[in-house]
Amino acid sequence: MGKFGKKDDDESEFLFENLDKGQVVQEKRAFNESPIHPRKCSLVISQFLYLLSRGDTFTKKEATDIFFAATKLFQSKDIPLRRLMYLLLKELSSISDDAIIVISSLTKDMTHKIELYRANAIRILCKITDSSILPQIERYFKQSIVEKDPHVSSAALVSSIHLLKVSPEIVKRWGNEVQEAISNKSNMVQYHALALLHRIKQHDRLAVIKLVSNLIKNSLRSPYAQSYLIRCCVEIIEESNTEDRIFREYIESCLRSKNDMVAYEAARSICSFKNVSAKEINSAVGVLQNFLNSTKPTLRFAAVRTLNKLAQTNPTAVVPCNLDMENLITDSNRSIATLAITTLLKVGNESNVERLIKQIANFLGDINDEFKIVVVDAITSLSQKFPKKHKHLIIFLNKILRDEGSLQLKQATLDAILTVVNNIPESKEIALTELCDYIEDCDFQDLTVQILHLIGQEGPLTSSPAQYMRYIYNRVLLDSGIIRAAAVTSIAKFGLLYEPMRDKVIILLQRCLLDEDDEVRDRAILYLRLFKEDDIHYLSKILMDDVPVPTVNMQKSLEVYLHNGDFSEPFDIATVSTVVETAQSPMIGDGKSPFATGSKKSESNVTSPKASGSAANDQEGPESYGTKLSAIPQFSGYGKLLKSSEFIELTETETEYVVNCVKHVFKEHIVFQFNVTNTLNEQQLDNVSVKMVPSDPKLLKYECSIPIDALPYGEPQPCYVAIRYNPANGYPLCSFSNTLKFKVREIDPSTNQPEEQGYDDQYSLERMEIVPKDFLNRAYVGNFVEEWKAISEDNQLVQTFSLVGVKTIDEAVKQIVKTLGMATAEKSEVVQPKAMKHILYLSGKSLSNQLIYVRARMKLDQSQTNTDVELTIKSDSEELNEFVISAFN
Amino acid sequence: MKFFDSILNFFKSLFWKQEMELTLVGLQGSGKTTLVNVISSGAFIEDTIPTIGFNMKKVTKGNVTIKLWDIGGQPRFRGMWERYCRGVNAIVYVVDSVDRDKFEQSKQALQDLINKPPLAKIPLLVVANKNDLPQSVGVEEMIEILDLKNIVGREVCCYSISAKNSVNIDITLDWLIKHSSTVKN
Repeated sequence: MGKFGKKDDDESEFLFENLDKGQVVQEKRAFNESPIHPRKCSLVISQFLYLLSRGDTFTKKEATDIFFAATKLFQSKDIPLRRLMYLLLKELSSISDDAIIVISSLTKDMTHKIELYRANAIRILCKITDSSILPQIERYFKQSIVEKDPHVSSAALVSSIHLLKVSPEIVKRWGNEVQEAISNKSNMVQYHALALLHRIKQHDRLAVIKLVSNLIKNSLRSPYAQSYLIRCCVEIIEESNTEDRIFREYIESCLRSKNDMVAYEAARSICSFKNVSAKEINSAVGVLQNFLNSTKPTLRFAAVRTLNKLAQTNPTAVVPCNLDMENLITDSNRSIATLAITTLLKVGNESNVERLIKQIANFLGDINDEFKIVVVDAITSLSQKFPKKHKHLIIFLNKILRDEGSLQLKQATLDAILTVVNNIPESKEIALTELCDYIEDCDFQDLTVQILHLIGQEGPLTSSPAQYMRYIYNRVLLDSGIIRAAAVTSIAKFGLLYEPMRDKVIILLQRCLLDEDDEVRDRAILYLRLFKEDDIHYLSKILMDDVPVPTVNMQKSLEVYLHNGDFSEPFDIATVSTVVETAQSPMIGDGKSPFATGSKKSESNVTSPKASGSAANDQEGPESYGTKLSAIPQFSGYGKLLKSSEFIELTETETEYVVNCVKHVFKEHIVFQFNVTNTLNEQQLDNVSVKMVPSDPKLLKYECSIPIDALPYGEPQPCYVAIRYNPANGYPLCSFSNTLKFKVREIDPSTNQPEEQGYDDQYSLERMEIVPKDFLNRAYVGNFVEEWKAISEDNQLVQTFSLVGVKTIDEAVKQIVKTLGMATAEKSEVVQPKAMKHILYLSGKSLSNQLIYVRARMKLDQSQTNTDVELTIKSDSEELNEFVISAFN
Repeated sequence: MKFFDSILNFFKSLFWKQEMELTLVGLQGSGKTTLVNVISSGAFIEDTIPTIGFNMKKVTKGNVTIKLWDIGGQPRFRGMWERYCRGVNAIVYVVDSVDRDKFEQSKQALQDLINKPPLAKIPLLVVANKNDLPQSVGVEEMIEILDLKNIVGREVCCYSISAKNSVNIDITLDWLIKHSSTVKN
C-alpha cells in the first residue's frame, strides 16, 4: 500500500503543477456524488488546498459554493478524507458566506469518539464562532481543554487564544481548566496552556507576576513552556521594574539547561537587556560561544545572529567569540558566514579590518543581494569607527557596485559611498576617481545621474579637478538624454567653482548646443549665457542651490499660479508648502461640488492627486485658500491672505463628529475655518457653528460667524468664525475653548429623509491657540552663513532654555522647526545619528516681509533626558525678535 | 442463530441494497431534529438545543440506507435550505401543528423553497408534527392551511404525526422508502 501511495503522490505532484482553478472548481461536484468516493474527493480537496496556498483567490460565490459542497462530506466515515475536509472548511470559512452552517455538525464532532475529529472541529469552530454562539458551545471547549489527548487539548488551547480576541469575557472564565492543562504530560499542551493563561491575565500585571513566580518554582518540564516563561520574565523585568531577583535568577539558571532551545532563549534574553551586569552577559555569551561550534546550522545561525545584534550595543562582550566567528567565515552556510563577518567587523579593531574586508570580498559572489546589503551597512558603520581605513572601504564598496546586482543593492552601495564621503572628507578624491571609472560602464541611469551630481558638486574642490572632465564629457558623447543633461550641469559646475577651467567649460558647453535632446540644449544655452554675462551670483544660485521644497508641492503651487492667471505679482517659492502631503482632506473645492473629496475618500485622492483634472481642487496652499475666501462676501474686504496654518485636529479621527481647523491670517483679521464631518449616517446636522471663547477677550473683537446650513452624513463642509485684531497692539496670542453647536435631525430609515423635528445639541472640541508661528512665513536664503555674519550682533536676541523630556537631538530639531514654522537652511535639519549636540539654522520672514534668521545651538544635558537650547535670533526689529522668542514661552 | 441472521442479511443487502437521501426543513422548533432522533434511534429526547447549521445522520432500515440532512429552521438558515435539497429523493417539510400563529409564515417559507427551479419535481412530504397535543390541527386542515392542493408538478403527501409518541412514524417511513433508489454499484 505504501508503495502504491507513493506512486500516486508523484503523479499528483505532476498534476498540480499546471493546475487550473476553473477546472478544479468544476471538480467540486465529486462531493455531491452518491456514494462518496473518498480517494477522488481527497484529490480534489488537495487541489483546492494547493491552489489556496499558491495564492489563487476565490470569489465569495466560488468559495461559498465549494464550502457548502464540502459540507456534504460530513456523511463520510473515511478518516483521511474527513481530515482533508476539515482543512478545506477551515481555509474557506473566512471567505465563504454563512460558514455558521457547520457549527452544529462541528459541535457534534467535538464529542466524537475519534480524536482527530475533535481536534479538527475545534480548530474550525474558533474561526466561525462569534460571541453570540460561543456561550452555547462553551462547555465543549472547557471539556476539550482538560482532555488527555494532546492534539485535542492543544487545539482547544490554541483556538482559545484566537477566541480571546473575539469574546475575551467568555474565554477568561476558563482559567481553571487552562491551569489544569498546564500539568498535562505533553510538552506542547503545557506550552499552549501557559501561553493562553498569560494572555488571559495580560492586563493584570500582578496576576502575571504571581503566575510566573509560581511556575518558576514548579519547574515546568516542557522546553517550549520554559522558553515562553523566559519571555514572560523578560517582560516583567522590563515593564515593572521589579526588585525581585527571582526572575533574573530563573533566566540565568536556564542558561545551564540541557535543552539547546531553552539555553538559547535565556542567552538571547540576557543579551537584549538594557541593564545587565558583566557577569550575566559573560555567561550568556559563553552559551552562545558553545553554539557557534555546534554541528547544527540552526544553532550556529541563531548564536551568530544574536551576537551580531549584541555587537551593536556592547561590542566588547562579543570579543571572546572572535576566534570562533573567524572559523565561521568559511562556513558552508553563507548566511552564517555573512553574519559572522559583519559581527567581526563591528567588534573588530583597526589592525584586522583590512584582512576581514579581503575575506568578505572572497565569498561575495556566493551570497545574495539581501545579505550584500547587510555587508554594505556594516561597512558604512565601520567607516565611522575607523576613518583611516576609508581607502579600503571605498574600494570594497566600489567592487560591489561593479559586480552584478540589483538596483536596490547598487543604490544602497552608492548611498554608503556618499555617507563615507560626507563623513570622511579625505576619502573624497579616491571615491570620485572610482565612481568616474564606474559610470563608464553603468547600467543604471538613476545611479549615473546621482554620481554626475556628486562629481559636479565635489570634483571642482579637489586638488586636480581637470582629471574628471574627461569622464563627464564622455557621458555627453555616449549616453542617453537624461544622463547627458546631468553631465552638462556637472560640467557647468566645474566652470563655476573652479575658475581656471572656465574657458574650457565654455568650449565644451558650446559643443552641446547641437544636441538632439531639448533639455540638454536648454541647459547648455542657459549656462553659456550666464557665463558670458559673467552673472556668477545667479549662476551659483541656479547650479548650487537645491530647491528647498518638495518637488510635488512646487509643481502644484506652480500649476495653481498659472491657473489663477494673475501674474501681477511674481511667484513666491516661500508660499510652497514644505509639508509632504499626507492623507489629509483638501477642504477647499470648486463651487459646484465643493466637497467632492471627503476625508474618508481622501486617501484615494492622494494616490491620484490629479484625477479630478482641476489643479485647484487639490491645492492646500494659500493661493487657493485666498481665492476661495475672498469669494465669501463677509471676508472680501479683509485684503490679501497672508498666511494659512496647517490643519489642526480638534477631535479624534474616530469620533461622531470630526472637526479640524485652519487659521487664515489677514492684515487685521483672522478667519478660523472649521472643517466638520458628520460620521453618523442616521443623523443630519443643521445650523452647525463653532462657539469660540477666547482666554483673553481684550486682544480681539468678534466679527462674524458663518454656519453650515445642513450637514448630511459623510460630506465634510466648512463653517467660519472671523475675529478682528489691531496689529499696532501686537498679535493676539491667546487660546480658545471651542464648542460645536448644531441641531440634530434623525434620518428616517424608511424614507432616508431627515425628520421634521430636531433637537439642539453641542459637542466639546479641543482647545486651540493662536501662536507666533501663525504670523511667520518661511523664507529661503542662498547662503545662510554669510547672511548671518552680515547682520551685526546689535540686532540679535539670545535666549537659553531647556526642552524638557526631549531625549534626542533629532527630536529637538523637529520640535524647534515645528514651533517656529520656518525654513531650514544649510541642510542643518540633518542630524548625525547619536549626536550629542547640533546647530540648526532657520530662516523666515514676518507678515510684513522682514527677514528673520535663527540659529539654535543645542546639546543633550548630562542626564540625556532634556535638551538645552541656545536660541539666537537676528532681524532688523527688536520687537520681532521678542515676538519670535515668545513662541517658546 | 444470530450468525446465520447476519449472513442472511449480508446476502440480502447484496441484492436489495437501496439508498435514499432526505432533507428535513421547516421553521425552528417544529421538531426536525427530534424526528431524526426518533427515526434513527427510536428514542424521544425531551429538549434538543436549536440546530445551528445542520446535522447529518445515516440510518439503515432493513436494506435501505437513509441519509438525513437536518437543517436549522432559524430565519438565517432558510436561505441555505435549497443547497441541501438539491438532488435529494424527497424533501420532508416539518410543521408544528399546534403553533397557529406561525402557519402563515410556514406556508410562505414552503412556497419560497419549492418554487426554486433546481428543486422542481422532487417529491414533498409534509408532516404535521406534535399531534399528541390537544390543540393540534388535523391532516385535512393542514392541507388547506398550506395550500398543498395547488402545488403542481411533483408528488405531495401530508401526514399528521407525533415524534414524541411515535404515531404514524411507520407510515411516514414507508412512504419515504417507496421513493428510494437502487444503488448503482
